[in-house]
Amino acid sequence: MITHPAPATTPAVRTAAPRPAPAAPRPRRRARPAAYRTLSRLLVVIIVVAQVYPLAWLFITSLRTEQDFASGNPFALPSALTLDNYARAFAVGNLGQNILNSFIVTMGANLLIVVLGMMAAYAIQVLGFRLSKLVRGIFLMGIIVPVQIALVPLFIDYSKIGLLDTYQSMIVPLAGFALPMSVYLFSSFFEYIPRETYEAASLDGAGPYRIFGLITLPLSLNTVVTVVLVNSIFIWNDFIFANTFVLTEGLKTIPLGLQNYIGTMGKTDWTATFAAVCVTVTPLLLVFLVLNKAMIQGLESGATKG
Amino acid sequence: MRRGSLDSPARKAHTMLPTRSRISVLVFLLPPLLVYGAAVLFPILQSLVLSFFSWNGIGDMEFVGLANYVHMLTHDDVFWRSFLNALGYLAICLVLQLGGALVVASLLLSLRRGRELVKTLYLLPAVISTVAIAFLFERIYSIDPVGLLNQVLSWVGLGSLERPWLSDVNTVLAAVSAPEGWRFTGLYMLIIYAALLAVPRELEEAAILDGASRWQLFTKIRFPYIRPVWITTTIMATTYGLRGFDIPYLMTNGGPGQSSELVTTYMYKTAFTSTDYGYASTISVFIVAECLVAVGLIVFMLRRKADA
Repeated sequence: MITHPAPATTPAVRTAAPRPAPAAPRPRRRARPAAYRTLSRLLVVIIVVAQVYPLAWLFITSLRTEQDFASGNPFALPSALTLDNYARAFAVGNLGQNILNSFIVTMGANLLIVVLGMMAAYAIQVLGFRLSKLVRGIFLMGIIVPVQIALVPLFIDYSKIGLLDTYQSMIVPLAGFALPMSVYLFSSFFEYIPRETYEAASLDGAGPYRIFGLITLPLSLNTVVTVVLVNSIFIWNDFIFANTFVLTEGLKTIPLGLQNYIGTMGKTDWTATFAAVCVTVTPLLLVFLVLNKAMIQGLESGATKG
Repeated sequence: MRRGSLDSPARKAHTMLPTRSRISVLVFLLPPLLVYGAAVLFPILQSLVLSFFSWNGIGDMEFVGLANYVHMLTHDDVFWRSFLNALGYLAICLVLQLGGALVVASLLLSLRRGRELVKTLYLLPAVISTVAIAFLFERIYSIDPVGLLNQVLSWVGLGSLERPWLSDVNTVLAAVSAPEGWRFTGLYMLIIYAALLAVPRELEEAAILDGASRWQLFTKIRFPYIRPVWITTTIMATTYGLRGFDIPYLMTNGGPGQSSELVTTYMYKTAFTSTDYGYASTISVFIVAECLVAVGLIVFMLRRKADA
């Protein structure tokens, strides 16, 4: 979708910027970048529209009547708006239960990711020990390990110890596979806490536990927000672990619940499905829109430090 | 520091705290290691062991040595088909994600206003679940009733290209790859944008004064400067691409035939449809090996270019 405008940019970049004569660089550089800027502004608009339009279309479709959707141009504005689809969405599936389950799994996994990630980073980066480099490496390796490797072994282990079809069966691997990134983000942040801070606290008689609670924890709240937001996106939308380890209707999270809308009788109720999608996306979307500045900043600094 | 000098030199180099006990290290380190071990490390070992067995989950496990690996590499046409498909899927994802990200991030730099808005809008698809995305693109690709893509094609006079994108064996792989690419462009764009912002202004201005074109400015100044971040994002995008699963699994389940089968979906079906745990583990070991090799190659290639 985005590729169409993309190839056009390279020649545009080239032609829009002839070399300014070294003797009089100023006036020339003013004129050309203006054209360049208009062009790039236009391109950005096109790309963003192409990027966001499918989502807008999804939302509009959720407000269409069924007949309107079935007969007609997909780009047309709806002839009438209706909330019937939302009523049907709630009537057909277990949306409430699905959302609750997703909340429980997201909260549980996030708690583990933040607390355990911070503890490991504290041990590695602040306390330090002889093999800390090795342990850090073992954690970092996890960033590139694909989750598929754990599906069969965990399925076997879970069925042995009776953990199959529980919240924990989703929370543990979700947390485990997110830990490496969390350890990485926390330990790169801890590097920036100056040694003097710890020395001062130590002189006041604080031990490692109090320093963790009174200095490290409060200072890293921003990183906590980043870690929680980024992971929430992945966990809220996790499909593969839930699809593998959840067997009963009552434990289904949102991604599994949404599948109920795909017609068992062959015909899918698309408008109701899209209404359900809109409902399930809303909580995450609200959090994202409210906190996106914090998240974007965290992502940017986290990635560029490394 | 001053207190640390009483310690052994080795310890002084590691710790930031003047006083800390060995027990406190364990208290902080053991719980995360336990969870990580149980969810990640131990399953990797288990998969490795299982890959040398033949087991359907119920009967006895039978040790077969390297037979699974030999079968996978020499006799299994579906495996090779899915491996080639996975490479195609990866290529499309990388072009959309890294190429798209670089283009948009560069364009964003030339905007004066609205950068925050563009970033937010661009990141939006990353918030949507893969199941919802699969639904959405199923409708975009559909031909009856006519979906967004076919409608656009007929408007711009390319009506001859209209087709059911998901049931055409020639287009299905691209059709299941594009949504994955689309979903995460925003994420990589953010990272690259932040890196481009960090390029020192003086460096760029000096280059412009020396008569560098915009293209030269990019290839000679900006890109070399963001190379470390570029390596990170390439690694991220590649490993995520190689483990891509949800969208092909949900939209086509590998079909029609094997035309959109990826190694991951093949492994999943082998494990949970055919309940061939041993062979499925062999394939999943391959997926991990594939990721490690890919990361090694990326680091090797991009580092070497930096030295040259």
